Amino acid sequence: MSSLHQIKGGRSRPSLPSFMVGQARPGVGSPAILALLLTPGLIIVAAFFLIPMALVAMRVANGPDGFATYFIILTNGRYFASLMQTLVMSAGVTVTALVLCGICGLFLVRNRFAGRNVITALLTLPLSFPGTVVGFMVIMLAGRQGVIGSVTDALFGDKLVFAYNIAGLFIGYLYFSIPRVILAVMASAEKLDPQLEEAARSLGAPTWRVIKDVILPGLMPGLISSGAICFATAMGAFGTAFTLATDIDVLPMVIYTEFTRNANVAVAAALSIALGLLTWAVLTAVRCFAGNTATSGTGGGA
Amino acid sequence: MSTQIKLRHCAKTFADGTRALAPFDLTIEGGETIVLLGPSGCGKTTILRMIAGLEFPDAGGMITFDGDDVTRQSIEKRRVGMVFQSYALFPNMTVAENVAYGLKVNGVSAAERQTRVAAMLEMMHIDMLADRRIDQLSGGQRQRVALARAIAVQPRVLLLDEPLTALDAKLRVRLRTEINALLRKLGITAVYVTHDQEEALALGDRIVVMQKGEIAQIGTPREIYRSPKNPFVADFVGAANRLAGDMRDGRLHIGSQVFEAVDGWNQYNDMIDKTGPVELFFRADGLSVCEREDAHFTGRIEAVAYLGDKQRLTVSGIGPQAMMIDTHADDLTAVGSDVHCRFNIERLAIFPAHDADSGAI
Amino acid sequence: MQRDAKFYAQLLLTIVLCLFIVVPVVMSALAGVTVNVFKGLSSGLTLRWIFQVWDLYAHSILLSVMIALACLVVTLVAGVPLAYVLVRRPGRLTRIFEELLTLPVAIPGLALALALLITYGGVSGYRSSWLFILTGHVLFTLPFMVRSVAAVMAAMDIKMLEEGAASLGAGFWRRFFTVIIPNAKPGILAGALMVVTLSIGEFNLTWMLHTPLTKTLPVGLADAYASMRLEVGSAYTLIFFVLIMPLLIAMQALAQRGKRPRKRTDTAEDTL
Repeated sequence: MSSLHQIKGGRSRPSLPSFMVGQARPGVGSPAILALLLTPGLIIVAAFFLIPMALVAMRVANGPDGFATYFIILTNGRYFASLMQTLVMSAGVTVTALVLCGICGLFLVRNRFAGRNVITALLTLPLSFPGTVVGFMVIMLAGRQGVIGSVTDALFGDKLVFAYNIAGLFIGYLYFSIPRVILAVMASAEKLDPQLEEAARSLGAPTWRVIKDVILPGLMPGLISSGAICFATAMGAFGTAFTLATDIDVLPMVIYTEFTRNANVAVAAALSIALGLLTWAVLTAVRCFAGNTATSGTGGGA
Repeated sequence: MSTQIKLRHCAKTFADGTRALAPFDLTIEGGETIVLLGPSGCGKTTILRMIAGLEFPDAGGMITFDGDDVTRQSIEKRRVGMVFQSYALFPNMTVAENVAYGLKVNGVSAAERQTRVAAMLEMMHIDMLADRRIDQLSGGQRQRVALARAIAVQPRVLLLDEPLTALDAKLRVRLRTEINALLRKLGITAVYVTHDQEEALALGDRIVVMQKGEIAQIGTPREIYRSPKNPFVADFVGAANRLAGDMRDGRLHIGSQVFEAVDGWNQYNDMIDKTGPVELFFRADGLSVCEREDAHFTGRIEAVAYLGDKQRLTVSGIGPQAMMIDTHADDLTAVGSDVHCRFNIERLAIFPAHDADSGAI
Repeated sequence: MQRDAKFYAQLLLTIVLCLFIVVPVVMSALAGVTVNVFKGLSSGLTLRWIFQVWDLYAHSILLSVMIALACLVVTLVAGVPLAYVLVRRPGRLTRIFEELLTLPVAIPGLALALALLITYGGVSGYRSSWLFILTGHVLFTLPFMVRSVAAVMAAMDIKMLEEGAASLGAGFWRRFFTVIIPNAKPGILAGALMVVTLSIGEFNLTWMLHTPLTKTLPVGLADAYASMRLEVGSAYTLIFFVLIMPLLIAMQALAQRGKRPRKRTDTAEDTL
């Protein structure tokens, strides 16, 4: 091979990753080694994710109604309403968490005061609570023996209890989301360049403009990635709902009921696929949108 | 017209009690470019940020722009243009949007904005970059955008915080020249912070040399360079060579050599009339290579650095420390050989010895 | 720094949020050691509920710990090399694979569990063993390990390090174990803590995958919440907190340590 050839080959990279082309390069293991490194991960993903997911899709097709099952879940009022309710609640939780944690996260990064580290540590406490425990926390807060109930009972003589319905679920997912968003906001806020704000202010920008033009764009990546996790969890988790009440009509609960009680595997599978696709679609859309604003500016300038 | 800035009894103590700046007075004339020069941590940036409105002086201090008291005014009201070391360009906006930002915030109409931004970009030679994103620009281009953005709002004062530090040496010199021309052309009052003495000498109408939160000397570049007021300034503006001596009967004794006092020595010190040990500071041009019979000193060449237009010799045997001496590029020099040199006596800065010990770094 | 109304408004909101998080935790912890929750703390403190939970659910708790550790081993063996390849060979194929790998996080655990049940539900020996639950946990936690390790590897200029080692004559495996792994340690450690915590708390998948003989800690929790008195549920929650808290503290300490050295280099630059 001539040296010219090599240069050309190096410059215009083939679309295949180079370890598949089979040319060992200095500092990198041989293709065989790289393939070996990939093997365990590939096996896990293929055997326990790709094949099962494909089988689920096939199970729907082989069910009593075949592919029409997808049509049924969209036209059946109960399934569709549940889908919408899940979607709206998840979006609501995400937005609420982003706003609350955006303010608090920024505040915690910007200010130094006694107890700041303790507050930060406490806010991230539920980071690894499973859905069931989160549900139990909601019961502690707003259940029949909850704090809120006792306080309202003492103040107004009326026990405020809202743990055992969709409001309780909303609170539960908020509880789950806060630590994640707080951490993401604080990480992004620490990376914000204070000189950017000073620059905006030196040009005469009032506070709200600094927030809109400098701080929010800077926090955006953190907000989007943590918001995505909150949204996906609220869409798909069912531990919290399971703990609160079995008759909350969110999609994961419906799937569970169809599968275990009605043994309606085809519908459960179709609903799972619909839920998965919807979650994935929303996440991808948000990510694309965010990617665009990050690369092409917020538009509407000079 | 250009704004005159006065700082009166300004001092700065930070929240944790550290004294950043001792009380000082400083007047910056309208249209003047003043350079704040000093090592890091000397307080130069704090002064700049006080003028900007990003820091406020301790109680008792006062800052006026053309007589208006702006001491407690926040930065967004002061109409100052600021250029940062890290450029601080908005990454979510294009070049044109960055330059337009100040105009937009100040309610300038879209049409006028467009013309003014276009003019600004053209003046800074970056009109072809208008629609670029910030991360597509080189360091030099970013600095031009930062300048354009600061000037576009027609500020009362232009504040530059080490604007060239992040650039490579060649570009630094080029942009320095351009900034100099720009400041003359605009006739705007400018405050420029740097730790680079060359930059300070090239740009400043006057230079304020700072040391540990205090003003060590204020003067024109020539005054600072030729007549440093104390050992710190001498050392900081590049007088790397030191020798010990004695003043007796109005004469300077160095070893067996005796020199008559010269005009231009110690404009700021009355050393000439005093008696006692002194310390001498001078640059590489303070000694020149000569014939044996004219020599004040003889030393040994330890090393030769060829600099193109000249050679810089490291010479031992004259004082306790090695000396830097410049000589013609074509002179024959050999490491290990003897070299004869004489004092350019008017290029000395001379201070009492104890001063030199405590003051210089 | 002036502290105005805005400061105190934000502080108030932060404290409210903090109470929202902490109050139920404290309440449930107290309820777990209270003789009778309905009568309140005045009824006295007791460890009775804790012992009762241990009698009933010790097996679930130990099973959870075992699954978490097994899950850690699998994700380490599969995830660390995977992260290395993803970082070292960026390309279209690796990106697709990365996307694929993170899908199990986006797709609801329920759907994933359903898929596993449909595919492997008939393999009786496997279906009824704890390995079935382990499979779900590995699928769910692997992306976290890969991402954590890949982030550290991407930040450390792995290429230069490796070329340096290669120039000294180190072969691939030697470089991998003596240069890459030690330098990626913070990421591996963070990923490991994440995997263990997630596995111990996993419920969505586990609830569908478990059998009466393979109940994990969170499954037992759901069970206790549904069928036991409030004190028992609380006591069980308390045990969970005690188990998970060291992991959380270690994670936070690790994050703090990661921040400090960066600051140090900043100041070093500043004085230059």
